[in-house]
Formats: sequence, structure tokens, C-alpha cells
Amino acid sequence: MTERFDGVPTSGRALVAMATALLLAGLGVAALVAPTSGPGRLFGLVVSSSTLGATLRLSVPIVFAAIGGIFAEKSGVINIGLEGLLIIAAFAAVFGADVTGSLWLGFLVGVVAATALAGLFAVVCIEFRADQIIAGLAVWLIALGLAPFGSQVIYGGPNTDSVGTLGTVTVPGLADLPVVGALFDASPAVYLMFLAVGAAWYTLNRTTFGRWVRAAGENPKALDTAGVDVSRVRYAAVLLSGAFSGMGGAALAFSIGQFTGNGPTMVNGKGFIAIVAYLFGNYNPVGALLSTALFAGLDAVQLRLQTSQLYAVPDSLVQTIPFVAVIVVLAFVGRTRLPEAAGEHYESGEE
Amino acid sequence: MSADEGSWRETARRRLIELGQTSVGERVLIAASALVLSVLLGTVIVFVAGLLATCRDPVLTIGGSTLCYDPFYVFDRLFLGALGDPFAGGWSPLNPQFALTLRETTVLVFTGLSVALAFRAGIFNIGTQGQLVIGGLLSALTVLWAAPLVSGGLGAVLLVPLGILAGAVGGGLYGAIPGALKAYAEANEVITTIMLNFVAVLVARYLVTGPFNDPNSQANQTPPLPAAGRFPSVVFDPRTDFSLLALGLALVFVAGVYYLLTATAFGYDLRTAGLQPAAAEYGGVDAARTVVSSLTLSGAIGGVGGAVYVLMILGTFQTGVPSYGFDGITVSILAGNNPVGVVFAALLFGVLKSGSTVVAFATNVPPQLVGVLRGLIILFVAMPELFRLIGRRLAAREEESATAAVGGGADD
Repeated sequence: MTERFDGVPTSGRALVAMATALLLAGLGVAALVAPTSGPGRLFGLVVSSSTLGATLRLSVPIVFAAIGGIFAEKSGVINIGLEGLLIIAAFAAVFGADVTGSLWLGFLVGVVAATALAGLFAVVCIEFRADQIIAGLAVWLIALGLAPFGSQVIYGGPNTDSVGTLGTVTVPGLADLPVVGALFDASPAVYLMFLAVGAAWYTLNRTTFGRWVRAAGENPKALDTAGVDVSRVRYAAVLLSGAFSGMGGAALAFSIGQFTGNGPTMVNGKGFIAIVAYLFGNYNPVGALLSTALFAGLDAVQLRLQTSQLYAVPDSLVQTIPFVAVIVVLAFVGRTRLPEAAGEHYESGEE
Repeated sequence: MSADEGSWRETARRRLIELGQTSVGERVLIAASALVLSVLLGTVIVFVAGLLATCRDPVLTIGGSTLCYDPFYVFDRLFLGALGDPFAGGWSPLNPQFALTLRETTVLVFTGLSVALAFRAGIFNIGTQGQLVIGGLLSALTVLWAAPLVSGGLGAVLLVPLGILAGAVGGGLYGAIPGALKAYAEANEVITTIMLNFVAVLVARYLVTGPFNDPNSQANQTPPLPAAGRFPSVVFDPRTDFSLLALGLALVFVAGVYYLLTATAFGYDLRTAGLQPAAAEYGGVDAARTVVSSLTLSGAIGGVGGAVYVLMILGTFQTGVPSYGFDGITVSILAGNNPVGVVFAALLFGVLKSGSTVVAFATNVPPQLVGVLRGLIILFVAMPELFRLIGRRLAAREEESATAAVGGGADD
């Protein structure tokens, strides 16, 4: 039974990767053969530097949240409330920037707010043994209520005032390269994202703390026997998930310079997409980055399709593309191999 | 006086001790405690918000800072306002504010039931919102399509049931998608249902701004439904958009789900699949089929909620559907996923939703306060261990000896 499913994830992943590559190759061929045809122009749109730029910008909150989710889940606490952490951070960052007058101080306020909410989630799950899924949903719903509430109280509407954006860091010369130029003309948050992916990969795979985190999720008993406090490791991992999500939420808010709180707020499902991104990326920060690139890339193409007159598909339907992609990917990936003790409370024998 | 207070404390302590040891009535107590804690925390939040907000006529000035909202007045408005001020004299249960409360309650019974049914099968249906949107949309379109085909008295008898049926079909099919994805592709339903919520909103927006748009309205909506296609108001003023018939239908659904869960073979399979999936499969329950049928049924109930929202409240389908589905999660969790409990939890939530409009009118506190309470209530209900822990601590102190019993509720 399990062996059958163990085979599924890799083949599912390979399938999605191959389908994406084939589709791009097909569009590329079409572009060579008939550059003015619909598919040919679509290829031009997909591989343009501005699409890459949009992909990077849209990836930032998802990748940060996904890294946070990896730490929490690897340690054995499934954090389904990433969406809520992004929401609270986005609002707190704008509020912080508004009060302090500094975007980077606001950024810090966002990180602190998300870490605090993650801390509450950690206490509820680890100390009071709440069902992790339900507690995670509660975190999402609390933030979904609290951020627009706060915005209404302070700014008199669900959208906050504008506090300005982080701007861009441009590498002269390289920024003018075709296709990849956007990599060298991006928001500081984009560079921070790449840095975070590297740091998270290193921490998880090359440090003692990373080993503890993995052990807390796979075999808490062994970790306990080795004299390491399982609960402490889990607290640290969940707080980290808050800190990373906080950076993602703050970066999201500063990409347009304000918080918008109507309906699902500006976060609009990015925290849930992040969960699929790290599942699809097999709990590897680099894998999460790549799968986010797929979702965010589709989102970027979707945004460009709305403005270009390429196909006469209504905007509302084009906007469903990223969400449908997430469902399709999840269906292909199927059951992922969760850490052995994920979702379970661990009771130390010494208590 | 002090003796009185002592006995009150004694009772409260007893209750808490019982909470940690018995399971009878435990859920009710947990729900009540969660509610009280949420309101207490809500009071703190309103207080802090009152300090942060700026206003022309603050209720209190402390030093240099002003307090814009009076937390106690806010909760007074929230609860008493929703009932239409029962202590004000001249109160009638038919007052418009209470009608609004019952109206919200009616839709919430459906969404609460939808979430509860799935929960009992061990499935997190976060997609009731999307199922309600699709159900409501299909209901409106079906009634609009059928209205010219039936005439006179026949329309009044046929259109509403047809609309409800269409809602059930729409919601049911939309619930079947994550069901099939979970059963046959092992895709986690929490994620797929949330994604499908987004898809539902976008598809509905496309349909009501495009092919089914009402040319005579600025709003993104379908043409208005004919009067025969709407729930007739009974006893209550028609202007309140509340129909006792719809509330009655909701209660019939409660009875139906209760019967289904407790007295049918399918209900037994569903509950076993929820409690012990491995045992259920061993016992011959077709797990995949149970998952698909429970989510379909759950979606259908959510879809009927959407139909009721459209046929009773709106009289058209419009974008920007209120978050009844998410409130349904809280309703279900507060009710311990019990169909009968859902009625009370939905009423409580109906009070909160209706009361929030009174609050927004009487004070300047934003109605989003209910959104905050919604999350807090789930959080507190999710940690019965908190209450058990308090109960156990009190019990241990009570016995005052080293032989403190190992509590019955220690390990779930």
C-alpha cells in the first residue's frame, strides 16, 4: 500500500515538470515557425523580461511562507495558518511603516506581528494539544478578521493609506539583458527571497538545529532520548515559520505600498498556495522555490494576458488559472510523505 | 454577600473540575467557556482599538490618549441589539432586527450542517463557501429560466422547490470535485476546497458580468427573480427578507442529517470512516465512495444554503457573497459537529452577525469585529486541553494529597 504511493510523488512531479517543459517547447517551436500566430506571440509574452519580473515579484510572499511552512511541518507541526500569518504581517508592516516613517522598521513590525501570532499558534498546538489543522484555520480566520478590522479602525476603510514601496535594486548593464534582465532589476525583497532559500536549505540540511527539526518531525522519541527537548525544537520551528511568513507578508504589502483588506485581502490565497508549493517541492526550500515559480509564473502570464489582446478570454476566467493549476498539481502529486510524527502531539516521558 | 460569592465560586470550580473528568456535557461547557473567553478577549481588542482610533467625541480621556469605543456598550449592542432590545419595553419578536438575526441564522444552519456532516466523515470541508456560491448561482439561473414556463399559482408552488433543488445539485456537484480528488488522487481536501472557493467566486463573477448580467443594474448581478420564485414571508414583515418557511426547511435539514448520521447504514459508515478510517475499510466500508458521497452531500447542503440566500434574502444573484461558509466552520466547531448543536451555534452566530450591524450603527466599531470573534471562538474550542488542564489543576488542589488521580481526560 505505502510502497505504491511512495512511487507516486516522484512520477507525479516528473510528469508536471515534463508537461511544463513540453508546453514551453511547443510554444517555442510555434514561435519559430510562425512568430505572428497566437501561440507564437504567447511564447514571446511568456519569455519576456517583464513576465519574469512579475513572476519574481509574485513569488516573494509564496516562497517566504513556504519556507516557513517547511520548518514547521518538518518539526512535526502542520501550519495551515500561513495565510493568516501573511495577512497579519502585511497589515502590521504597513501600520508600522506609517507610525515609524521607515519601511524597514515597518518590515520588522510585520515580522514581529507574524511571529507573535505563530507563537500563539505554537502554544495552542504544543502546550494545549489543539488539533493542528483546526488551530491553523483559526489563525487564518483571526487574521482575516483582525487585519481589516484594524485597517477600518485606523484608516477608516478596509484599505490602508499608501506608505510607499521598497523600490528596486538595479545592477547596471546586466539589467538590460533580454529575458533574464529582470533578475538584476528587482525589489530588495526578491534578493532577500533568494538569500532566504539558501539560508533555509543550509540550516535544514547542514546544521545541528536542522537535524533536530527533522528528528522532531520524524522520530521525536529518538530526539528526546538524545536529550533534546522536542517541544522546544518545535516552538523554535513554528516561530521561524512566523518570522519567514512575516517577511513574505511585509514584502507583499510593500510591493504595492499599502494593505488592501477587501474579501480575501491582498494575500488572496497565497499562504495556501505556499503549502502546495512546499509539498510539491518535497519540503526542500529549493524545490519550493521552483514550484512557486510555476504558480507565480502562471499568475504573471495570466496578468499579462489580461492586458494583452492576445486571446478574448474574459478576465475573471483567466484569473482562475493559478488556482486551477494548484489543484491539478496537487492531484498529480497525490499523497505526499508527511514527516512521520507530523500532526501528532509528543509527550515526553519525563513529565 | 460574601457567602453568596463563595458558593458561586464553588459551583464554577466544580464545573471546571467536571470539565476535566467527564465527557457528558463537556462539549457544551467547552463551547460556553470558549465563547466567554472570546468575548473577554474581544473586549480587550475593542478597548485597544478604541485607543488607536481617532474620533471627535471620545467616551473617555485618559491623560493624553482618548478612548473612542466603550467595550461594554459595544457588547451590549452586539447581543441585545441583535434581539431588538428585549428589555426596552414594547418588544415584539417580529421586530426587524430580530428578523435579521433569524434570517442570518437560517443560512448559517445550512452552512454549519454542511461543515459538520463532512467533519463527521473526517473531512475538512473548507469549501462550503464556494459550494454556497455555486448553489446560489445555479438556483437563481434555474428559477430565471423556469419562470416563464410556469404560470400563475403553479409558479408559486414550483419555482422555490425547483430553485432549492438546483442549489443542491450545484453545491453537490461542486462538492463532489474535491471529494473525487481526495478519494482517487489523494489531494488534500483542505487545499482543494480553498482553491475551489476562489474559482467559484471568479466563475460566478464571469457569469453575472457576462452572459447572465442584468442590463438594468449597475451591480454585478443577474436580473431580479420574479416574486413567485422567492420565499413567501410568513408572519414577519416582507420587508425583513426573512421567511419562517426557510427556517422551517433548515430545521427539517437538521432532523434529516441527524437521522442520516444516527439511524442509517450510510451514516454509520460515514462516522466510522471519520473516527477510524482503517477499521472502516477493514469492516468493508468503501472508503473512496464514502469520501465522495459525504463531500457531495455536504456540498449539496451548502448549495441549498446558497439557494436560500438567493431566494429568501437577495432575490437575485450578486457578486460579493457574505462569508457564510467560513462562519459555518465556526458554527460547526462550536456545535461539536452535532447537527442539533448546529441550530444553537447558528443562532448565536446569527446574533453576532445581526448585532454587528447594530454595533456599527450605534458606535463606530467596524462590523469586522465579528470576523475576529469567529476566529477566536474556533481557537478556544480547538483546545479543550486548556479547560481540562484548568480542571485538573483545580481537582488536584481539591484533593490536597499526593494521590491526585490521573485524570480520565488525560489522553484524549
